Parts: sequence; structure tokens; C-alpha cells
Amino acid sequence: MAGLELLSDQGYRLDGRKATELRKVQARMGVFAQADGSAYLEQGNTKALAVVYGPHEMRGSRSRALHDRAVINCQYSMATFSTAERKRRPHGDRKSTEMSLHLKQTFEAAVMTQLFPRSQIDIYVKILQSDGGNYSVCVNAATLAVIDAGIPMRDYVCACTVGFVDETPLADLCYAEESGGVSSLALALLPRGGQIALVQMDARLHQDHLETLIEAAMTACKCVSKVLDEVVRQHLQETSVLSR
Amino acid sequence: MSPMRLCVPGEKLCSVEDCNQGTGVYQRHGYIYSSLAGYVMRKNEGEELPVISVVRETEALLLPDVGAIVTCKVTGINSRFAKVHILYVGSTPLKDRFRGTIRKEDVRESEKDKISLGDVQSTYLLTTAENELGVVVAHSEAGAQMIPISWREMQCPQTNIKEFRKVARVQPEYLEA
Repeated sequence: MAGLELLSDQGYRLDGRKATELRKVQARMGVFAQADGSAYLEQGNTKALAVVYGPHEMRGSRSRALHDRAVINCQYSMATFSTAERKRRPHGDRKSTEMSLHLKQTFEAAVMTQLFPRSQIDIYVKILQSDGGNYSVCVNAATLAVIDAGIPMRDYVCACTVGFVDETPLADLCYAEESGGVSSLALALLPRGGQIALVQMDARLHQDHLETLIEAAMTACKCVSKVLDEVVRQHLQETSVLSR
Repeated sequence: MSPMRLCVPGEKLCSVEDCNQGTGVYQRHGYIYSSLAGYVMRKNEGEELPVISVVRETEALLLPDVGAIVTCKVTGINSRFAKVHILYVGSTPLKDRFRGTIRKEDVRESEKDKISLGDVQSTYLLTTAENELGVVVAHSEAGAQMIPISWREMQCPQTNIKEFRKVARVQPEYLEA
């Protein structure tokens, strides 16, 4: 892609953001009445819908039930209209399975599963429009949905995808940046304690840059957590005013 | 009531020395943190430390706990056990039905039959082996609701046929007007 500079000399990216600037986050909780918890989150042009059911009795094979904690079952899928070209196979392909596993690991770190032995919590996330940072948007949407469902969690889980260009870490990559050959790293963080739930990268990065990149990711995640906090508090105030 | 404070998961509420842990909170490194998004409630217990808990407006998530009194509906009967669906825990209804089993030997305390060994239990095990526990509502073969006569018999008002059930002697405080 000749002529497209990921980071211009003045420090502006392709969409006019600065290096550490996040995309606009808009979110709503409780979008579905029939699910236990649900949330819709947009980060720039990436839109995700998360739905949570549970905790309920183990469905399917009872032998997979754990005697001391709940099983978290995640499913990630993309709508066929979410990408530039219509997606042929929205579920079951390797990418979706890998994402589902990552989401499961992330939420097992945050949800207090010991309170619900022998039961199952289902988290379903669907990407409605994909413009980069799919994993991060899914994690953020699923956090809101889990809070909406009233499932106890240690802390929020906030995620952000960061990349490294010209010695500068870029926060919250969009699709053009991700496919433009940037080494991207996705990080999921529990912001108050500063504990990392998951780090994922499959690109090449020099060892010296790793620490800077992770620092940038953690800062970006903390910014996301502030936004999510606002959304949750506002939702609580709205729902309580209505029911009183 | 004074306006209650909102809190979110992960928010530090107080230290362990100030309050005891209630529901919806967890303890870490000597401090109590919230694990739900809801309102903080502090209950004074008298001489002991107050209990701090976080509640949501909607019904709390409930799972049947060991030792809890539950209300269930029988879905299947076998010569060895009865399968039930657990509907209420205490007096709060469950959103989802949980499955449970009442074994034959757990129905009455006195007349114990042979105990079967080695069955893998993947459902909740229930017992009615106390005076206050047992059948509360039953329908006869004619379809009418039966009236309890003694602790082991119920009678149908339409056909006057008596059927055997292990009747519960429900405490007066649980009976509503």
C-alpha cells in the first residue's frame, strides 16, 4: 500500500488519531430482556454484541462439570456481513475456535467461579462489524454483559490491541493498521490490580520493544476501564430510578 | 433510607478490620472489594462488626446450597428413587430449573430400606427425612387436589380414596394466609 503512512511526521495516524489515542467507545447494557446479561459495544467502527446466560445447570455432558467451580463456555462468531467481503464460514473455523478459547481463558481469570460449583456460564459474542481489534472489543463487550448478568467478578476485564510502528506504540489498532504489517499485541487487563489476564501476539517484535509495548497496552486498557465504569454507573442509576 | 452508594466490581469498600464479609464481596490482602455492580449495604449486627454486602435490584443469583430447604416438583418416579425439578430455594424462585433426586432410603428416617452403592450422582441429592419435610401438594388419580389426613396418608375429596404419601408438617410461619 504505497503512500499510506501509518504514522505521519506530525504524529497523526491514518484516521487522524494520535499514537496513544483510543477510538470512540459507545456501549449499552441490558439490550436483550430474555438473556441474563447482554451488552452492545462499539469501538470506532468495530461493533460487538455479547450475551451471557447463567449460571445454570450443566447442559450436555454432565461429566464435564467441575465439582468446585463453574465451567465458562465461550463462543465467538462473526456475522457474515461484518467484513469487507462476505464471510463464507462464520462459525467453526480455526480463528473463531482460537478466539473462543482466548475469551474463555480471559474470563476464567476474572469471574469468581468458585461460588457456583457444578454449573455453567455461557458467554456468546458476535462481531457485527469488524474494523480491527476484534478480540479487545469482544472482551470489553463481554465484561459489560457479565456485569449486567450479575455474575460476581473480581474486577473489570479491559482489553486493547496495540502495535509498534517507527519506535512508537500505537494504541487501539484499526483494520488498516493491523493488515498494514504492524506487530500487534492484544492484552486483557484487570485494571485496579494491574493484573494481566491474557497477552496474545503472533508477529515479530524486537525484545527491547516488548516492555514499552506492554506498558502502552496497560495504559490504554486503563483508559478503556474508565469509559466502561461510566457506562456501568449510568446504567445502574437508570435502572434503579425506573424500578423505584 | 439514606441514599445507598453505588459500586462496581473491583471497587475497594473497606478494610477487613472495619466490617465482616457478606454476599457480593470478596477479600484480598486485608481489604474487602465488591464483586457485583450494585448498592453497598451495611448491616449492624450489634456487638460484632457490621456486615457489608453488595446487592442488586433484581433477584440474586441462587444456587441450591447444601442444607437449604427447597421446593420441588416430582417429574418421574422409579422403584428406587424419584426425580424432581427444584423450583424454589427457601422462598425465592429460581430462574432455571435444577434437577434433583430423592432416593427411596432418604424419604423416611425410620423405615430405611437397602442402600444402593456406587451410583454416580450428578444431580442434587435431596431428602425428606424430617417431620417438616415431605409432600405439600398432591393430586389424586381423579385429578383433584388431595387433603392430608395423617403423616402418611392423603385423601381425595371427590372420590374419598386414600393414597399414601409422606406428608410434610409445615411450620405455621411458612404457611401464608
